[in-house]
Amino acid sequence: MAAAVLDRFSPQALRVLALFVVLVLIVLFFGSQIDNYYSARLFNRVSTSVAIMAILATGQALVVLTRNIDLSVGSIVGFTAFAVGDVLSTYPGLHPLLAVALAVAIGAGFGAFNGVLVAYARIPAIIVTLGTLALFRSLLVEYSDAKSIITANLPEWILQLPRANIVSFGDLDIRITFFAAVIVVITVHLALTWLRTGRKFYAVGSNPEAAVMAGINSTRIVFLAFVLCGAFAGLAGFFFLARFGNITVVAGLGFELKSVAAVVVGGINIFGGSGTVLGALLGAILVDLIDTSLVRWPLVSEFWREAVLGFLILGAVAIDAVLMRRLLALRHARMKDRRDKSVAQDGATA
Amino acid sequence: MSDAILELLGISKFFAMTAALSDVSIALRPGEIHGIVGENGAGKSTLIKIMTGVHQPTSGQIRIDDVPVQLKGTRDAQERGIAAIYQEPMVFPDLDVAENIFISHNKLGEVVRWREMYAEADRLIARLGVSLEVDRAASGLTLAGQQTVEIARALALDVKVLIMDEPTASLSAHEVDQLLRIARALKAEGVAVVYISHRLEEVVEIADRVTVLRDGQHVSTRDIGDVTTERMIAEMVGRDAGEFFAREKSHATDKVALSIEGLTVDGAFADVTFDVHAGEVVCLAGLVGARRTDVALSIFGVVPAESGTIAINGKAVAITNPKQAMELGIAYVSEDRRKLGLAMPMSIVANTTLATLEQFLSRSGLVNRRRERDVAESFRRRLNIRTPNVNTSVGTLSGGNQQKVMLSKWLNAEPSIMIFDEPTRGIDVGAKAEVHEIIHELAASGVAVLVISSDLPEVLSLADRIIVMREGRQMGIYDGAEATQENVMQLATGQELTAEPA
Repeated sequence: MAAAVLDRFSPQALRVLALFVVLVLIVLFFGSQIDNYYSARLFNRVSTSVAIMAILATGQALVVLTRNIDLSVGSIVGFTAFAVGDVLSTYPGLHPLLAVALAVAIGAGFGAFNGVLVAYARIPAIIVTLGTLALFRSLLVEYSDAKSIITANLPEWILQLPRANIVSFGDLDIRITFFAAVIVVITVHLALTWLRTGRKFYAVGSNPEAAVMAGINSTRIVFLAFVLCGAFAGLAGFFFLARFGNITVVAGLGFELKSVAAVVVGGINIFGGSGTVLGALLGAILVDLIDTSLVRWPLVSEFWREAVLGFLILGAVAIDAVLMRRLLALRHARMKDRRDKSVAQDGATA
Repeated sequence: MSDAILELLGISKFFAMTAALSDVSIALRPGEIHGIVGENGAGKSTLIKIMTGVHQPTSGQIRIDDVPVQLKGTRDAQERGIAAIYQEPMVFPDLDVAENIFISHNKLGEVVRWREMYAEADRLIARLGVSLEVDRAASGLTLAGQQTVEIARALALDVKVLIMDEPTASLSAHEVDQLLRIARALKAEGVAVVYISHRLEEVVEIADRVTVLRDGQHVSTRDIGDVTTERMIAEMVGRDAGEFFAREKSHATDKVALSIEGLTVDGAFADVTFDVHAGEVVCLAGLVGARRTDVALSIFGVVPAESGTIAINGKAVAITNPKQAMELGIAYVSEDRRKLGLAMPMSIVANTTLATLEQFLSRSGLVNRRRERDVAESFRRRLNIRTPNVNTSVGTLSGGNQQKVMLSKWLNAEPSIMIFDEPTRGIDVGAKAEVHEIIHELAASGVAVLVISSDLPEVLSLADRIIVMREGRQMGIYDGAEATQENVMQLATGQELTAEPA
């Protein structure tokens, strides 16, 4: 019976479930450590910041599914936040939707640059995006000309955006940005589940050779993944601008690490082919929750927050590796068993 | 005009200067099972790759329904109704069975209708006369199940020509029956099935016509009624007399250098037992997939044996890693020069001393570059490596010269037992003779030599004794002087007519 469950359900479904449990445990843990932890303020704070990370993780998830990685997302967030902030400071009358479109377009452009190098020039993604991580950041430094974007110059609507609510339950606010992020995640999830192109993301990451043999244009899929990842990073950049208002050249620094952490913790296989963006959303919440909670935990110094994130990535990947190996071993044993039986049958009938 | 659905006319394919296929013509009729047989290197793989659009022919014409076409890639070939399944199935482990079948179906529209897809997958699987749960992940399937998925994928694409490349090599007897049944079902639907197999008895059982290839050339195409396995074997091995190499006298001594008994690695090979004497050349013969390399890797400690014993000079040893094997005086010259043998971008000098670097350390612990160079230079002269100088990077050399660099590397370790894995694959005749010369010299100096080779004339000219393997089992041992191509081939293909399996 247990074996039948093992065969039928993907380990991924089990992982998402496990993630929920871990999430609850972490909340309970911090609740016991920090006074006044269960407050609407914490929820609001985490949900606002998750809005950015969830969108970023969604893009990262698309790339990781195809057996690639995008380390340049932090720099893309920084550049778009600054560029859109600059444009809005100069033309405060710009329509909000145009501002969003601009952010997405800039991000998609950077993503396309990554995509061309990875998919068409066939340079390993880790090399390409490590390079563009530095390159895009340098572009931002050049573009900023030693200035910063400051709140005072931005139009009122964008400053109000992070505090705007869709609905409130008492003190608990569902912010527009959080709501938008959830919509993005759900849309991408549905697209990955129901669209043929979406399924090809899984196919390409699952077995690249077979993808070619099956006549899938994997070059195009990988390129598309990077463009989408860039576009989502651009959108995240817009939310970053809305949330902080003051943008310097270090905006979004280190976000690549957090987005990869969210994706891996969320149960997406770093070798591609399996996982869901819903998992990535949970991963983003987990990473952000820990980050935010550690700030308020007096026992841990600020310097250790990064280390906790590092432990989290290592732990998730290690569990994944061990889990997969165990599962494969189990399956192997069962297959061998079955084959021995069928051989025995052959022997009996011969 | 012809009744052929797919026709190859005078197809030739050159890789660099080597002809993989020359002037091969084959016509496939709808509703026939067409067997293609030939030795390793006869050009079967190249032929498949041309039919599936992976390779473009250097010359010749491909016709589909009498219309000349150019197959631009696997996708183009599929759209024209030609698909292939391989010994190692190409499935997506993370997707479920139905998705695996329909993943490249673009005309189904962009939105996946899961329920319809499952129903359609069920119908396809049923058409093949097998049962398979279509909503479970492909990673849980047996090899046979994965093959079924691939066949269903081809069927879903309205395939007119289905190529099966060694489909039964890793299947159990029960699964083979099932596959043969599927092949017949496809034939009944009017599909032309190309059946490529080393198992001649299967080919005789299932095929309507059989084509024999040898050395990239078409030998014959006959109706199955006119074919016997003996005749197929004769046509597969028949060769120009000029390609035979003269036998040299044996240098074998009485001293047993390497003795293995009951060696087994689960899932690879079982119960392999033989001795190699000092000064003797023993060849492991067999077809691709006979698991000869696995035996060598096990002796060399890469994949240690699960049971059985290895004794060196009469002393039982447990070899668990290559370093240990090297310390015991074993050297393994790998089949795959690129992957396992040589560091291509590095110089001849660096490659020559790679396995024996500790010999070249000075007292300060640094590498003595001059001595390295001298040794490499002496091997260059001794083995006649054709290169301007020993600092040339190995990647720029020809295959034969690369092979000689690899030999230098291991000769420098002065092994007492030397294992060669396909030492002359892909190198020209001149270099081949030189490699044979080196092997003879080694044997004459008292080294025990084990050679894995799929090249039968080579085996017959080199070996003092021949061990024939088939699918992980040791089929028999021949004395080198008594063996003929025919009887080795019979054991290797499982036609146990004249010899008792040992």
